[in-house]
Amino acid sequence: MTLDFSIVLRFQEALALGLWMTIKLTLICVVLGCSLGFSIGLARTSRSALLRAASSIYVEFFRGTPVLVQLFWIFFCLPLILGVELSNLTSGVIALTLYMGAISSETFRASLKSIGPEQLDACVALDLPRRVQVTSVILPQAVLRAVPTLLSNCVSLFKESALVSAVGMADLMFVGQNISNNTARPVEVLTVVALIYFVIAFPLTRAVTLVERRVLAKLAI
Amino acid sequence: MTMSFSAPLVKIQSLHKSYGPHIQVLKGLDVEMKPGERVVVIGPSGGGKSTLLRVMMGLEKIDSGSISFGGKPYIFSEGADRKTVIDTEVRRSIGMVFQHYTLFPHLSVIQNLILAPCKVRGENKASATKRAQALLERFGLGAKASAYPAQLSGGQKQRVAIARALMLDPKLMLFDEVTSALDPELVAEVEQVILQLAGQDMPMMIVTHDMWFAKNIASRVIFCAGGVVVEDGPPEQVLGSPKEERTREFIDRVFHIRH
Repeated sequence: MTLDFSIVLRFQEALALGLWMTIKLTLICVVLGCSLGFSIGLARTSRSALLRAASSIYVEFFRGTPVLVQLFWIFFCLPLILGVELSNLTSGVIALTLYMGAISSETFRASLKSIGPEQLDACVALDLPRRVQVTSVILPQAVLRAVPTLLSNCVSLFKESALVSAVGMADLMFVGQNISNNTARPVEVLTVVALIYFVIAFPLTRAVTLVERRVLAKLAI
Repeated sequence: MTMSFSAPLVKIQSLHKSYGPHIQVLKGLDVEMKPGERVVVIGPSGGGKSTLLRVMMGLEKIDSGSISFGGKPYIFSEGADRKTVIDTEVRRSIGMVFQHYTLFPHLSVIQNLILAPCKVRGENKASATKRAQALLERFGLGAKASAYPAQLSGGQKQRVAIARALMLDPKLMLFDEVTSALDPELVAEVEQVILQLAGQDMPMMIVTHDMWFAKNIASRVIFCAGGVVVEDGPPEQVLGSPKEERTREFIDRVFHIRH
């Protein structure tokens, strides 16, 4: 068997388009998913039993089922239930946002919990009103503490996003699979696809360690 | 309301506080404190010393009783369900420093100091920063303004915490075991700062296990045990020759005179 990696070059434009779709999908879902996750994290520590129950059912359900099943359900069952057509991108965004929301809500919940009650004592002793307690003391610490794990969550999302190829979204994985089928060169094409994922995910993983060491060690939180 | 010279600054009347149905921490505690007094509260663990300070700061609910400051009741229980009412306007005059520093770890030293004055009192940043820098210089921390709490020693952290409380111009300072978490060699620098405040007639109530410090700073000592005041008098009496048997036992034990 002879390997000819130059064959991949012929398809660089298609691969670039696929990569762009993967990145776009990841970025949209990171932003939406983190916002959702933060709200859910707050809801899970809320005083209202209803909010707590609803949010934990959501989180446990999405953490307890395969992402692929969630994707298929949202692509094929949700349109039937809602009675409307959803574009591929919309369905993909909904599915991965819900997944990201569930995992990042756990991250935020842990970071909120790790802020000790003595911080609130200090807020009271300094006469800080509730609004200032949240915006100047609790929120910044919760977000800072969450950053390393959130970055890991983002890397996971970037990799998991390859699953959308299974429902026909033209992301990097989907494009790669098509090229590999049409050219009958799976080794060259799929190796390059894997390398592209790795080249993006690896520095991000390293960045997590860096952020942990530099920023958080300085703050000791 | 005007305050005559001898009127109490703080008046605590039959204060009751329990955690749950079985643990009664304060069982009818009465204390009066005159302006300019420095009251040191000593006593065995679980005797209610720290709880007393936390209640005075409005950090804990009470079962019954009341606390007045400058003649004005600001913490009391009200209604059939004995809800704790806290007058935050009055509470504003009280500052507190805790055992575990409780600095905000994500803010630099200077930001820790100016947060409350800027966000609560509406002071502008430049003037708050100037006051903060002056306070830090006074406490020997001038060079640490832009450091983060994690970069400071325990003694430095505690001095910053004291400075932070002083930024709000308190009329009474509460110190809750502020040297208990410190390495022995760092205790003096914190106590020095509190003595400096005492020299400026800052009224204060101090919970401490350090009897040397108690002797040096107190104008009055209260021995608190089992949720009530057992003995209350000048330091020479309570620490030197206590009248009550329970006080004597405690003092002997902490000074290791008898075993």
